[in-house]
Amino acid sequence: MDILKEIEEALVRRSIDEVKALTQKALDQKIPPEEILNKGLIKGLDIIGKLYESQEIFVPELMMAGMAMKEALSLLKPYLERSDVPPVGKMVIGTVAGDVHDVGKNIVSMVFTGSGFQVTDLGLDVPAERFVDAVEKERPDVLALSCLYTPTRLAMKDVIHLLKERNLRDKVKIIIGGAPIDQNFADLIGADGYAPDPPSGVKKVMGWLGK
Amino acid sequence: MKEDKVYQERRARINELRAKNERMTCRERAMMAVRHEEPDRVPIDNWMVPEIRKRTMDYFGCETYDELLDFLGVDFRNNYGPSYVGQTFRKYPDGTVEDLWGVKRKTVVYGKGTSHEGTFSEVAESPLEKMKTVEEIEKYDHWASADWWDYSKLKAECAAYHPQYCVINVGDRLDRTAQLKPIMYLRGIQQTFIDLAMNPKIIEAIRDHIISYFVEYNHRVFKAAEGEIDIFMMGDDMGGQNGPLLSLEAWRRFFKKGFKTYIDIAHQYGIPVMYHTCGDVYKLIPDFIECGLDILQSLQPRATNMDIKRLKQEFGKDLAFQGGMDIQQVLPLGKPEDVRAMVKYAMDSAKKGGGYIICTAHNIQVDTPIENVVALFEAYHEFGKY
Repeated sequence: MDILKEIEEALVRRSIDEVKALTQKALDQKIPPEEILNKGLIKGLDIIGKLYESQEIFVPELMMAGMAMKEALSLLKPYLERSDVPPVGKMVIGTVAGDVHDVGKNIVSMVFTGSGFQVTDLGLDVPAERFVDAVEKERPDVLALSCLYTPTRLAMKDVIHLLKERNLRDKVKIIIGGAPIDQNFADLIGADGYAPDPPSGVKKVMGWLGK
Repeated sequence: MKEDKVYQERRARINELRAKNERMTCRERAMMAVRHEEPDRVPIDNWMVPEIRKRTMDYFGCETYDELLDFLGVDFRNNYGPSYVGQTFRKYPDGTVEDLWGVKRKTVVYGKGTSHEGTFSEVAESPLEKMKTVEEIEKYDHWASADWWDYSKLKAECAAYHPQYCVINVGDRLDRTAQLKPIMYLRGIQQTFIDLAMNPKIIEAIRDHIISYFVEYNHRVFKAAEGEIDIFMMGDDMGGQNGPLLSLEAWRRFFKKGFKTYIDIAHQYGIPVMYHTCGDVYKLIPDFIECGLDILQSLQPRATNMDIKRLKQEFGKDLAFQGGMDIQQVLPLGKPEDVRAMVKYAMDSAKKGGGYIICTAHNIQVDTPIENVVALFEAYHEFGKY
């Protein structure tokens, strides 16, 4: 079987050791790292996303796949850097002020990193100023905001407000997520979009970036 | 209760509906519903964060929370269990405090300086998170013990609410009878998910300590209460917004046996069991029923697959329900007429034949306008009548 197909399937099985070994094998066979990423790993991640969406796999399995991606990427990274391949996109992510829940945000961060994004994770309980400073400094394509409680979701609005004040709103796309978030709330506060789970978030952002 | 005209007017609608509808005590009403019989009206339970309690008390002119519950027609009173008499919880200079399991907790403030400011107690540090082996887990020296509680006042505390109210033994939010939740506190949420996929022996080791504690503790609680507890409530979140947190197979492997054990103990004492879980747990419900669960609590309406109409149709014969009111969109963001429509829908869907206790799917949160809280309770009384 084609080794890229093998990588894809090992990722779908969430077998960290196999994904790692096969990625190394593919590198040894001089397969270009961006091909390993795009035609092996990301294809596998696509399938993982569909399985998660259809409730065939759940959070533990999604995290395993994320960890397998991370391991594979750590092997690819030196090559990708050397070959001057730009990241798929740049993202700044964090859990908004007043909210100390970061499990969902960490999974999102992991899955985006796994999909070839350069992710700057600001952590949890992040004040609006820090998000806006990071947007100014890092110039990301996407700002991702997370929360768990309904009261803390109002802090997302503050971030968007401050971005406008500092004339940065049109410089960055905003995606929001978390248990109390839906498209309606995204529209209400003027975010560009919402995603119910990490894989569909990747899909949405890829769409924005025309990838 | 304040008797100024403004408060009397605000209370008039609920008072009028209650006078018209109510024909029995809260306890009779609640227990009929649990037995799948139709009482005079649908029983009402109440979950509010402290800030909303305060705001609602102020609005209706109630001077204590008990006065508010009485006025609103809330049929249940919570019993928080025995009194803690174990070692003093250790406090640290950074403001964190150890809990029953040795988990460090801190108080978190959100919405600072706004009208929706509030606080929550959150895990600051999970003591088992870095451990690699079952042996290390076994050496942990802070497993909770049923000996750390004084059960002697429990019976009198519950009996004080009788015969008027229905007493739910709820425990405390942070150490309610559960399995997965204390594992997450002790081990960290992220590590727990990884363990569920990769280190089943570690999950089992922690879980077994937790189960043996709650088995002994609950036996003592029920024995001490001598029939004064009407409903036993346990709570363990197994659902996320869009599906269970773990697969049915994983739930069966790790948690089904303990779930049934907890239910069996309460049933030995003749106490029906209510189980709280957030989120979409649709796929697990047949197993809950098989384990003997009496009442499923929360029915988070914005979670997938938790539409109350469908749940009633599919499982209403075997299972009673508590909850169904949306705190994620309708209460904080909707208008009073949306709140009314939501109550009507739930009542129309679930009240037939008993087996329904109306309540919000979790605490009413601080971002909820007072007019929606008022609309909620007025609609409970308007649409709850049999």
